[in-house]
Amino acid sequence: MIYYFCDGTPESFFTAVFDAYNKECFITSDSEIQLSLGCETVRVLADAEKCRRVLQGLKQYDRNAEEDILTALRNCSAQKEQVCFLYIKCIFERKTSIKNAYSLPAVVDFNDLLYKITGETHRLKGLLRFKETANGTFYAPYSPDNNITDLLMPHFAARFKAEKFVIHDIERGIAGLYNGEYWITAHISKAEICLSENESAFESLWKEYYKSVNVKERPHEKQMKRSMPVRYWKFLPEKI
Amino acid sequence: MIDAERLEILTESAKYDVSCSSSGSKRVNTAGGLGNASVGGICHSFTPDGRCISLLKILMSNDCIYDCEYCPNRRSADVRRATITPREICELVIGFYKRNYIEGLFLSSAVFGTPDKTMELLINTVEMLRREYRFNGYIHLKGIPHADELLIMKAARLADRMSFNIELPSENSLKLLAPQKTKQSLLLPMKSLQNAITYDKLNKVRRRDAAIPAGQTTQMIIGASPETDGQILKLTEALYRNMGLRRVYYSSYIPVVRSNLLPAVGAGLLREHRLYQADWLIRFYGFDVNEIVGEGENLSQEYDPKCAWALRNMHLFPVEINTAPLATLLRVPGIGAKSAYKIIEARKYGKIDFESLAKMRVVLKRAKHFITCKGKFYGCDRLSQVKNCLLLEGKSELTEQLSMFSEKSVAISALTGEV
Repeated sequence: MIYYFCDGTPESFFTAVFDAYNKECFITSDSEIQLSLGCETVRVLADAEKCRRVLQGLKQYDRNAEEDILTALRNCSAQKEQVCFLYIKCIFERKTSIKNAYSLPAVVDFNDLLYKITGETHRLKGLLRFKETANGTFYAPYSPDNNITDLLMPHFAARFKAEKFVIHDIERGIAGLYNGEYWITAHISKAEICLSENESAFESLWKEYYKSVNVKERPHEKQMKRSMPVRYWKFLPEKI
Repeated sequence: MIDAERLEILTESAKYDVSCSSSGSKRVNTAGGLGNASVGGICHSFTPDGRCISLLKILMSNDCIYDCEYCPNRRSADVRRATITPREICELVIGFYKRNYIEGLFLSSAVFGTPDKTMELLINTVEMLRREYRFNGYIHLKGIPHADELLIMKAARLADRMSFNIELPSENSLKLLAPQKTKQSLLLPMKSLQNAITYDKLNKVRRRDAAIPAGQTTQMIIGASPETDGQILKLTEALYRNMGLRRVYYSSYIPVVRSNLLPAVGAGLLREHRLYQADWLIRFYGFDVNEIVGEGENLSQEYDPKCAWALRNMHLFPVEINTAPLATLLRVPGIGAKSAYKIIEARKYGKIDFESLAKMRVVLKRAKHFITCKGKFYGCDRLSQVKNCLLLEGKSELTEQLSMFSEKSVAISALTGEV
């Protein structure tokens, strides 16, 4: 058994796929993983040529595979590289797109990985909360399970076209910034925020609304928690 | 800006409108505008009753000239009254929308003054939002019965979705419990809205100018009047097929109002749940009402409607997973619309075995009695055994629900949200 350690970038992952293809191996970027006895470890350095060849091979069988894999690699699971590796192998073996082969274990695992990202992105389109700051910029702090800030930006840039806003992943220290014309992402660890005068008034109206719209006669708290997991509550004014 | 007390009164009055979905519209943002619509809908929060908050659901006023027996805001009721101005609504919507609290507005109203005057005020509000505030988010507008047709058409060009509530499942009940509303005052505007949608489609009207891109919905109260499930579903089917409605919502009757014309106890949420299950069968699973329930009958309490149908038609089963067509797969209990589609796709890559069905989220506890995989049958042979197994499974679902609901005897979540 050979363990391939990549540095977390997609390039090093695709390089590892190239090196490991015909071997009995496990690819990961998690350096704290439990190794098995008598194993060999290899540290992978990104190699542009190897990466290009893997992607070119993928493209001829499935045009969307690269994008799907890049999305799946955002997952926070330690297994993500290995799951993607098995998925790629499966595409090369079958020489066709296998995204809808829902009965193959490699595809089931891969789709689960992918769904965690697309699912969380969709969920946060609803659960993200902005606060108005004193200079009129809207600021939304949050801490998602996966690194999805740049996936959320296009949605909010289309919606709040004429506004300025910041979406801040405070755990990872990544922020998406939109100035009313285009958006970028940047590393920002801490932000000091001065809220606008109206902010607390709107927040308390929202809390009032949330309380009033509930039908007390038919409680179903389990359903609420299923749709809106408790770990997201710390950024929701109505749940604080 | 609106004060907390009026917001409370007008929200409390609006919350019995079940619909909160924000799907079906593809409205795009304009230059310098605010907001767009997401075609699948987005939920922004969930209340402790398990329902989602997608739209700001509010009444313009709860000061009503009508005296409908079941309604907490009827003229003769002694409740706090409040009214909100178009400007106040706009400020609230924009403020909430920019903070990403909501996906849009669901605006409704009690009838104050005359129906035309009420409808005009609703239109003024939406017009102000769209023109002055350049708001392109989702707007669901309630139609006021007896309002002029021209007003309804004007509203339809501004809103994404409109709804006229049928309120009660038959003309007789409507006469008895809501005498000021007539069948015609509800069905005629629904018909003209449908005609407007058809006209826009045929004449390829630009999406931005088209009437209600997300279609229309309606709602009725279940259990306040004596209609059977068969009659209710027959009406539902007619509304889908003849009026082109997107959704029919059911609201289980809760005795908030005391009246000798109304039953003293609620209808129970299980009945509502079963009706929604049957509604889904009609819309997504290719069932006719006549197959699900007879005109004078009620749906079975023990089994869900699909199981009940399958048990009556055991001669059609088992079906082979690897060869059955989509229409047949959809009729197998335990196989939903999504998993039926997955099975069809997965079959192209090789035969499916029993184990991989579980991975496709097929509910095997139910499905195994009705299918074979590569020719092998995994369920019970005798009909009585099958019935027992399904009954036991259904019971475990119910007891789980019972422990969760502190007040009502039997309660099952309302299914909301999807188109």
